[in-house]
Amino acid sequence: MSSKRILMGNEAIAFGAMKAGVQIASGYPGTPSSEVMETIASHAKEYGIYAEWATNEKVALETAVGAAYSGANAIVTMKQVGLNVASDPLMSLSYIGVKGSLVILVSDDPGPHSSQTEQDTRAFGHFANIPVLDPSTPQEAYNMTLLAFRLSHEMETPVILRTTTRVSHGCADVVIGDIAPIPRDIEGFVKDTRWTIFPKLTAQRHPLLEDLQLRLSDCFSEYFEDNSFNSLSKGSSRIGIAASGVSYLYAMEAVRKLPGVFSVFKTATVYPFPEKAALDFLKGITDLIVVEELDPYMEEQFLQLAGKHHLNVNIYGKKNGCFPVSGEYDVDVVIDGINSSLERGNTDVPGLSHSPPAINLKEVPSLLIRAPTLCAGCMHRTVFYAFKKAAGKLRSQKGIDSVFSGDIGCYTLGNARPLNMVDTCLCMGAGISIAAGLSHTQEYSNNGKAKQIAFIGDSTFFHSGIAAVVSAVYNSADITIAVLDNRTTAMTGHQPHPGIGITAVGSPAKIIDIAEVLKSCGVGLVRTIEADGLDGCIDAATEAMQFEGPSAVVFRGKCVAISKGEGQYIVDEDKCTGCKLCISQLGCPAIFSISSGLPVIQDTCSGCGLCAQTCPSEAIVLKEVL
Amino acid sequence: MAPRLLATAAMDAGFHVATAETIGMAQREGSVTSHVRIGDDVYGSLIPQGTADLIIGLEPAEAARNLRYLRKGGSVVVNGHAIMPSTQGKGSEEYDPDRLIGFLNDNCPDIISADFTRLAKDAGTYKAANVAMIAAAAGAGLLPFSQEYLWDVLEKMIPEKYRDVNRRVFDRAIESVSDTKGKGMESRAFNDGRVR
Repeated sequence: MSSKRILMGNEAIAFGAMKAGVQIASGYPGTPSSEVMETIASHAKEYGIYAEWATNEKVALETAVGAAYSGANAIVTMKQVGLNVASDPLMSLSYIGVKGSLVILVSDDPGPHSSQTEQDTRAFGHFANIPVLDPSTPQEAYNMTLLAFRLSHEMETPVILRTTTRVSHGCADVVIGDIAPIPRDIEGFVKDTRWTIFPKLTAQRHPLLEDLQLRLSDCFSEYFEDNSFNSLSKGSSRIGIAASGVSYLYAMEAVRKLPGVFSVFKTATVYPFPEKAALDFLKGITDLIVVEELDPYMEEQFLQLAGKHHLNVNIYGKKNGCFPVSGEYDVDVVIDGINSSLERGNTDVPGLSHSPPAINLKEVPSLLIRAPTLCAGCMHRTVFYAFKKAAGKLRSQKGIDSVFSGDIGCYTLGNARPLNMVDTCLCMGAGISIAAGLSHTQEYSNNGKAKQIAFIGDSTFFHSGIAAVVSAVYNSADITIAVLDNRTTAMTGHQPHPGIGITAVGSPAKIIDIAEVLKSCGVGLVRTIEADGLDGCIDAATEAMQFEGPSAVVFRGKCVAISKGEGQYIVDEDKCTGCKLCISQLGCPAIFSISSGLPVIQDTCSGCGLCAQTCPSEAIVLKEVL
Repeated sequence: MAPRLLATAAMDAGFHVATAETIGMAQREGSVTSHVRIGDDVYGSLIPQGTADLIIGLEPAEAARNLRYLRKGGSVVVNGHAIMPSTQGKGSEEYDPDRLIGFLNDNCPDIISADFTRLAKDAGTYKAANVAMIAAAAGAGLLPFSQEYLWDVLEKMIPEKYRDVNRRVFDRAIESVSDTKGKGMESRAFNDGRVR
């Protein structure tokens, strides 16, 4: 039986995995991938699946690999940046292969909407010699998840299921099959030399790995015959369009007013590239327009193919400037790209037109910039402000400047004005290591005149912070670590982590205490303090910054997005002097100023009280008090 | 929640749907746009410029920011309740919501502008302003399915303890547009959007 449901692409993938009989699931949250594991975890008990959030993507992949070595059907989930963390096991894994099945779900983020990079996982698959499937809709994501498990099992290779934001986070009506309870009859690990990678094994396996790429390329070419995931259509002109993923839909919508004019090559099996089918397609075409977000991956495949076979075909894409080389695509971007290609191609196909908006956009008044910022009542604001104050004291009393190294999470938003408390941000865990690196340079170049402070979140601490702490302590880095412990993985949707005491499926778990970890790593001064009192936070920050050698403060608070606010504050207009410190210093989105010059606190106030603690006139009071 | 509510109701009413939402970093008080496509002719989830039938602007500046999507003859439902930025970003304009609402009323022929946050707050919770706006769109006949489909979905989505207050918001919003139902709807006067 099958049924139709509204599903987000990520949910469709989770249902596909469960339909395919996934037994073990591991992942680390990261937008736009997180809902895959969340959905599996929420059904885990019902279907008998083991599901977990791992501490990072490398650990998640290795856990899934262990399960697959035992013959299990396994999935691991992450975002594109997470694949970098997992790349160490991934590159070796492709040589070894798997038993059972292993699907690696990686979500790319063109734009990007919430990522540090716009990297393209299709290229990573190519680099690692691992097949990549690239669905264009939630329905296709569901269907291709089934295919990914099947391919992985048949070919004994991990398979990357790659999505982009608009597939991961798009909802659609999706037809899915019923899921039966999933059997746990896993064969078990069988000892064999094939599981231990050594240079000799690598040398033996590499030719087989290369051969697999050729076999898969042929296999993917055959998929065009039944139009299941790949399709070829012949148009009336000698102009072709090649596309994959969500770009295929943009291209089809862009040319819908010229039905049947273009020949279309659509592939959802992007790596290994289906060369035979692509070659068939290129014959009879004089001009090829390649529509793809992120890297010019397919464009390069077609260019190589045309060169290899001496085909006289013009290829338009990113490399000759017809399409943007970065940023997210949509129908309008693709219309411009196709038009630019058509102009250069000197063809008689007319250009495509945009739909004019109802309103002359030049007449729209210029608009405010509304950048993301820390939530009203967020504990991070108190901690950042406390460090700002403590650093100010250090500067005025001892002439020592402070550098604040940030990290990946909600608290990256501490870079926003007026806090300006993120001087560096590179990747997960890097706040601590970069602060350590900076501390070793100042010893020689700056004569100890700068203090290094690293901010890190609780989930990130477990992800890649601990190794950085160990290295910093062992190498005597003079840094202060501020752990912003809001008791959740807030940025990606509040997944639990080892500091919480609850697993992905809601079972109780042993809590790993961050302060105890810091102590056992040898950090000289470790304090734990509640983040709701500004003065206490300033004192703790000051003490830690004045400590010589590695020091740390764990600031414990709660995430306002999942905890109920306690009361609301209001401005007592009789006492308010209009100094606007509450606005100019804190950047709380619940406070704004009106034309009279007085601040107003909006309903979104969650009662953290930071503004009241900051106000020199005691003019900010709890609503009930006034 | 709003896009999923619209999409589920549309699917229940027999349409194909596709939505695009923005989740993650962009949600943290930032400017966020969701797309909902309903019908048999659905391609990708992103709406091309100049083709949207309806813009539901949960905030005046965000409605204006997305006007490029509105098709000729399309409708706008806008919440007059402005969300003021706490700090002016670099190069940002001073925010004058009254002027902006005036512009929207003058330039969008089919517009419903009202303080839906106040409507929701009066009915029990300001947080249900989005429910109020979608109900208003349904009540004004701007959606291709009836309001019953919406409520059926809401009833399933909303935890029981919040159901009554949402029902009140829903009904009041529909009532508030009952005089505008059908074609030739009149611009509604903007009342001071800021709730003190």
